[in-house]
Amino acid sequence: MKILGVSAHYHDSAAALVIDGVPVCAVQEERLSRRKGDASFPLSAIQWCLDHACLEPDALDAVVYYERPMLKFERILTCALRAFPHSWRAFPKAMQNSLGERVWVRGIISSHLGVPSSRILFTEHHQSHAAAAFLTAPTRRAAILTTDGVGEWATLAVGHGERKPDGNTEITLLREIRFPHSLGMLYSTFTAYLGFAVNEDEYKVMGLAGYGRPTMVDQVRRVIRRTPDGAFTLDLGYFEFHTTTERSYSDRFVELFGPPRNSYEPIDLETAEGQRFADCAASVQRVLEDTLVDIARTLHQETGLTDLCLGGGVALNGVANTRILAESGFERVFVPSAPGDAGCALGAALYADRIHFHNPDRDVPDHPFWGPPADGVELARLAREDGHRFEELDDSTLIEQTADDLAAGRVVGWMDGALELGPRALGHRSILAAPHAVAMRDRLNRDIKFREEFRPFAPAVSIEAADRYFELPPGGARLARFMSGVFPVRKEWRQRLAAVTHVDGTARVQVLEHDMAPRLHTLLEAYGRRSGIPVLLNTSFNLAGEPIVNRVVEGYTTFRRSGIDVLVAGQTRLTKRASPLANAKEEVTCSRSVERSSAR
Amino acid sequence: MIFEMFRPVHRWIWCDAERRAHKLLRFGETETDGGRDLVRASETTPDSLLRRLYLEHAIDEHRHGVMFRRRGNEILRSLAPGSNSSFQADWLAPSGHGVDDLRVDEEPDEALLAFLHLSEKNAADRFSVYRDVLENDIPTRAIFEEILRDEVFHMNYTLTQLARVSPQRHGRTLWYERLRRIWKSYLRMAAALGAVMGGFILTVQYFVILPPFAWLAKRAERRESPGWAPVSPQPNRPLQRQY
Repeated sequence: MKILGVSAHYHDSAAALVIDGVPVCAVQEERLSRRKGDASFPLSAIQWCLDHACLEPDALDAVVYYERPMLKFERILTCALRAFPHSWRAFPKAMQNSLGERVWVRGIISSHLGVPSSRILFTEHHQSHAAAAFLTAPTRRAAILTTDGVGEWATLAVGHGERKPDGNTEITLLREIRFPHSLGMLYSTFTAYLGFAVNEDEYKVMGLAGYGRPTMVDQVRRVIRRTPDGAFTLDLGYFEFHTTTERSYSDRFVELFGPPRNSYEPIDLETAEGQRFADCAASVQRVLEDTLVDIARTLHQETGLTDLCLGGGVALNGVANTRILAESGFERVFVPSAPGDAGCALGAALYADRIHFHNPDRDVPDHPFWGPPADGVELARLAREDGHRFEELDDSTLIEQTADDLAAGRVVGWMDGALELGPRALGHRSILAAPHAVAMRDRLNRDIKFREEFRPFAPAVSIEAADRYFELPPGGARLARFMSGVFPVRKEWRQRLAAVTHVDGTARVQVLEHDMAPRLHTLLEAYGRRSGIPVLLNTSFNLAGEPIVNRVVEGYTTFRRSGIDVLVAGQTRLTKRASPLANAKEEVTCSRSVERSSAR
Repeated sequence: MIFEMFRPVHRWIWCDAERRAHKLLRFGETETDGGRDLVRASETTPDSLLRRLYLEHAIDEHRHGVMFRRRGNEILRSLAPGSNSSFQADWLAPSGHGVDDLRVDEEPDEALLAFLHLSEKNAADRFSVYRDVLENDIPTRAIFEEILRDEVFHMNYTLTQLARVSPQRHGRTLWYERLRRIWKSYLRMAAALGAVMGGFILTVQYFVILPPFAWLAKRAERRESPGWAPVSPQPNRPLQRQY
């Protein structure tokens, strides 16, 4: 049975293909369109998935959309009615957005793919999250907790899943918290208040929180209140996201927390104002963690299960995930590589396969690499055409050479195999560097990623060496498989891992098993032989404001525009000359003379 | 030419420091976005020379973005805290690529080069006016000076490359692109007008039709208890339904 899952229209659209119960491929539209967070209908992603599997659309047994558009429309309309007359400005925009495209999903899919409408199915948003979390995790029975901004009505749902011995699968969502009461919206509101982009920069708030103290927890608790049944409500007087599209927080919110940050103004943590923003981030982070831990603890007591599957965009909050693992009573916590809406494409397809069509359970490969492959031959061609030095090496030489590069302090762009699904670079589209010196972190932020200086970088470590450098609790290595947890760096190593140790002594570590990314694992070992520490700084292969690179040509242009010293794709190694700056100037001069001679 | 005529207006627009800062910050975003489009162009073109030139152009645009943002922030920092954002007059003083849009994936090289050439020419016209009216802000003026030097290179290479990739038809391509820009402007205006009219009609409906439903919705909301809500049993909601 061939099932295509699709997520679209809000943020991070994606397509995923499941054949005979096993994912074959999945890719986010942004990786193909090169527009970060691309929410448009994922035609390119669908096309790539079908091409990859050599399928025509009419061979599909079902196309599953990740949520129910009319139910979502009902929520938007109802919220506009409830907020009457304050919603008068938001109402026309909401109607134009919804009626323009979003409610006609069946027709859009049918017209683009030529699939009969009877083959188009709809899961609920949190069912998709739950399926993406549970059906991709190596567990037979688990509690499920999904939480994000909002789906149709639900913003948080709890339940459980079971793969039965007879091959049947069950996913049961027991109860939910409904819009506008939403942990995701709470966090996004603070994201906007702190001058970051909503639905994109929430992880910056988490990073900033490390620099602050939770001095405003009481104020945050006035904004979000716990209910006697263990849920929570937002005090809507502090918010405007449910009534307007212009601003998510109200004047009362500003009275409570002080003036918002101008998004253009850099955060200077040396100033009182900068520290206030950091404290604010720390406070909302603390309240989010406390709330999630409490809900997870209750779920653990209720289900008596040892495993928890987390889904939804909030599950990208590694600090909260780590506290859930430590304090809720669950022994293992599973977070998929794409817990957000992009992963819903895969979740929706798997849900339809197991639950709707009652197909027998199949193990899903436990890795995030479902996208297009990187082609080293293409890099050789580009380098040859542009007159750059490159080498085509056998695997072991290439890895030894790359380890030498890293040990010499060079920054390496690393493209290997299929693209990751989800926001983290987990070893196939990564920028790698030595993790030892703060100067390296600053260089990466300044010359390569062009981003804020408070942003930490993540380390990658082999599973064999992880415990030596990081304080991983039981279950920690699993949570760190897809960089979903934040763990303390052992005190004795913080000095030597300064580039990847956050200000609070933690790191969002990736613990790598050989089978998941063999070449990166071998590289870690080779680097360990040189430096004595088999840990590398691993950050996503992109520049600020751009999606992670997909094709080799995108890695190549990123390499050319930034301070990356070495680019490796497949078996090809491309180097820059000594000084990246001098090189750039040389490039410009060279190109100008080329252009002039061509003009003549 | 039109920009020249509005020189006094631009002088007024740029004289306010806060407005100037915000404009520069927005210019910075536009230049950076333009740079990303050019990177995309360099990734999609099959022509290796154009790839190099687009990439160089993209690096310039990125640098311009950084310069604009840095200067905008400098001005903002120099202002008294709590000063309010003033009227921005964006449509009167657009940034580098103004309201132009660029879909590089869908454009062949010759159309893209023509588009870039005209955009750069427009940007150069605008920036020279901005430079001239900024006689009291030497650092900002210097930024426009520097960017204008780059724009000359950008205009030149796009024109010479257009002649190279389309030796027989480059003049026609430029004229076609000029007409297309007019057509796109019309479409944008029509879409904007349609959105305004649609918004107006929906607003009227909001106040005329919705009040009784709003009353019912609010009454229903009051009956809802806060906290957990049970999830309706799944068999009631087959996957064929959109609601």
